[in-house]
Amino acid sequence: MKSALFGKVFLHELRVLIADRTLLLVGSLLVALVLYGFYNGYQETLQREHAAQELAKKQADKHAENITTLRALLGGEQKPDPFANPFDPASVGGGMEMRYATLPTLALSPLAFGQSDMLPNYYKVTDRSKASFMYDTEIENPWNLLSGHFDITFVLVYLFPLIIFALSYNLLTVEREQGTLRMLLSQPLSLAILVAGKLLVRALPVLLIMAVLPLLLLGVLRPQLFQADQLPAVLGWLGLVLAYGGFWFALALLVNIIGRSSATNALALMAAWVLFVLVIPVVLNIVVGLLSPAPSRIELATKTRLITIEGLNRYHDKLSSDYRFTQDPEVLLPRDGKIEVAPRRQAQFLIQRDVDKEIQRVLNEFSTQLAVQQMLVERFGWISPAIVTYEGMAAIAGNGAARYLEFQQQVDRFHERWKEYFEPRLLNSIAMTEQDYAEMPHFEWAEVPVQVSGILKRLLLLVIPALIVIAFAIRRMRRFSVV
Amino acid sequence: MLSLIARREFTEFCRDGRLFWTGGIILLLLLTALAVNWQHQRTADAERLAAQTLDYDDWVNQEARHPHDAAHQGMHVFKPQSALSMLDPGIVPYVGSTLWLQAHRQSEVKFRPAQDATGLQRFGNLSPAWVIQMLGPLLVIILGFNAFAGEREQGTLRQTLSLGISPYQLLWGKALALAIGLGLLLLPTLLFAMGMIVFTMSGNAMVDALWRTLWLGLGYSVYLGIAIFVVLAVSAKTATSRMALAILLGVWIVTTMIAPRAISDASRIWHPNPTRYEFTASLDNDLGNETRKAWMENFGSDQRWGSEVGIDQWGKALEVDDKAGYKALDHQFHKLWDTFDSQQRVQEWAGFVVPLLAIRSFSMGVAGTDFANHRDFSVAAENHRRIMQDKVSHDLVEHADGHGDHHFDYKSTREFWATFPKFTYALPDRKFALAHNTLSLAILVIVLLAAMVLAHRAVMPRKA
Repeated sequence: MKSALFGKVFLHELRVLIADRTLLLVGSLLVALVLYGFYNGYQETLQREHAAQELAKKQADKHAENITTLRALLGGEQKPDPFANPFDPASVGGGMEMRYATLPTLALSPLAFGQSDMLPNYYKVTDRSKASFMYDTEIENPWNLLSGHFDITFVLVYLFPLIIFALSYNLLTVEREQGTLRMLLSQPLSLAILVAGKLLVRALPVLLIMAVLPLLLLGVLRPQLFQADQLPAVLGWLGLVLAYGGFWFALALLVNIIGRSSATNALALMAAWVLFVLVIPVVLNIVVGLLSPAPSRIELATKTRLITIEGLNRYHDKLSSDYRFTQDPEVLLPRDGKIEVAPRRQAQFLIQRDVDKEIQRVLNEFSTQLAVQQMLVERFGWISPAIVTYEGMAAIAGNGAARYLEFQQQVDRFHERWKEYFEPRLLNSIAMTEQDYAEMPHFEWAEVPVQVSGILKRLLLLVIPALIVIAFAIRRMRRFSVV
Repeated sequence: MLSLIARREFTEFCRDGRLFWTGGIILLLLLTALAVNWQHQRTADAERLAAQTLDYDDWVNQEARHPHDAAHQGMHVFKPQSALSMLDPGIVPYVGSTLWLQAHRQSEVKFRPAQDATGLQRFGNLSPAWVIQMLGPLLVIILGFNAFAGEREQGTLRQTLSLGISPYQLLWGKALALAIGLGLLLLPTLLFAMGMIVFTMSGNAMVDALWRTLWLGLGYSVYLGIAIFVVLAVSAKTATSRMALAILLGVWIVTTMIAPRAISDASRIWHPNPTRYEFTASLDNDLGNETRKAWMENFGSDQRWGSEVGIDQWGKALEVDDKAGYKALDHQFHKLWDTFDSQQRVQEWAGFVVPLLAIRSFSMGVAGTDFANHRDFSVAAENHRRIMQDKVSHDLVEHADGHGDHHFDYKSTREFWATFPKFTYALPDRKFALAHNTLSLAILVIVLLAAMVLAHRAVMPRKA
């Protein structure tokens, strides 16, 4: 009986929404927004992947070129270039052989820009100090960083609630204002069933478009989506859309049950949206910054300079010795496995090594501070579903702060390995051989799998508020006035 | 008459609590943002001044060493923050403020504050400018959506007009009431800011900052004026207040939420900027070409720092290499910055349809926190680096070249370090700001006039 009634309500509402073109209008608007958002994110991802390929190619080309030069020099067909000498560990480790450490994109990358427009997706690792490459940022117009991007996450977090409002702000009030609610409820029909039917008709199509359309596009354009390890991310995306959308539908329901007029409903929903999506995130951002302020970058700069000065003094003698190759070009060629590494170049390596060692403490302060901030966001983020969803999206797209931090740390460790490989060779003047070229360390990114527990936690943070709102609505339903 | 209408309207705002609640929350946000930004800016500025002085002292007092090594140590320069960044930090969170001036290559300004913040930063930066730009128009909508439509529904509109009041008087009276309501938010903020300026600054800098605050006040008045007349026009034109509200909220969402991002992405499609990889590759390429050409011309060999050029010519070689590089650096960096400029120009012109973009540009320009200011600093810093470089290579040519196979045992001393100028940079004054922002101000004024015309036409008595 109940399900038959529910079916009737559902079908009737569907007919009304189709007849007055609301569904068509709102649906096509949502499709257009999703398509534009997807296009932007997809272009950005393609660009990143293209750059990664170019870098890998450049690295391979450079490697091949070095081997060719090395052989030509051994055969005496060519004269060595003092600062690009394939036998000299100072030249090789300092940039002749370099490693582009790149952060690969994930299948869901087009869904959220996250931090990818600001933090670099690759670093050029040489034996120089990390002060020379770690502080780089991606090139982007600051105005655009300020505006933010029009990606799928923006459509979901900011615009999807508004689409939901447009469909359901006057769910019940319009019936009351037209006087039809009285007639409806004089029939053997409960308010709960009426509301449920009305909500479901509106929720199904928009949730379907929002959740499935981007996945369809991804499925066509990015086949890696179908790999088994992508399943948590895909399910995470579906869960986030349903839970976030569910929250706003629940709120629309509550407002309709309480509300007196359609205009009041619209204002109340907008107020909630402004609060949750606009105001709370920016206020929390300020609060987090006040609770855990960033250490001074100026101090870092000053510290780096002071260590450099100390190094210049410490290695004064090495720095003062002259290059000998202009007198005696023979020193540029290996003899009994040895090559003369210019003392100046040893000094430069040592200074940079010392800088790295000494600034580590200051750099650690930065990572600790950022970790504390991130923890605060995790702890207080639940007060706004928009924050939870935004952070969740960035995480499953692989463009969140945590993955970038992990990338920096892996690069940092690789940089250490690279320096450790070259340090003994550089300081003991050991010539590089073709064999060495094959054995130099390579950067391998170790993927951090999408945390299922993290996704579940976020979903709970969305579902619980939604359930609370629904519970409120059900309580208020008993006092609902039909007139 | 006008004041009577305005008074009546204003009483209504106060009576139903709309102004108190929404306005109160917004004012609270405004003043909090102002206080937080002000405090932040003061500590940052003190630290910057101390570091800059220390940096120069260390430079002057360094031990005797080869000047090129000293150039590797280099100097740090720190970008001063405009006093008005407490009202509008503009792009400051997204650009760095520290530059290490070193040998060989122009570096970029490092350490963007946004890097030391979480992803929340991307929701926006709480500042008075953000609050007025985003929430200001929303407040106008909440206060004004039923200005005409509500009275029409209640039937009071007909009565009022039958008393012989001209609809234009009614329009201006209602506009005045809205303006007073908004003034209650804008004025305390501006006065608070001016108070802090007078309290903490002095002399020319203070006068400059006060002028800028006044200009900002003017800009925001025009911006909110646009909102007032658009809201009244829509309210007058629509039959019901529900309809007016729906339309106005739609306009607000499109112009403050959707359009800025959509246009920002569109401007990147229209004027694409290079990625870091592309930029570095083409800069390396240009630098390589220019310097090799210069080496060929001067030394008859295009192998830089090779065995063909004796070590007794390295001072000259450094000079030649640097000078050749300047051209390539200028070309590449200015090309990149011009692309950013063109992207911003697209957004400014879009201000005709989306006034938010025009006021954003005007506001950060006048506050001295826009890209033009950042660029000015970057250029000044690079010029300072070149002065250092040129002095170093000149010293080497004078003293180290021609000493046979000795080059690096030459040491310069404190007398030489003391001849290096201090980096004294002040942000450009308000004339620079106004010259760069006439377009956005003009666009705002034109849009305001258009909104007034629209409102007048909307209340025009209909025939029949």
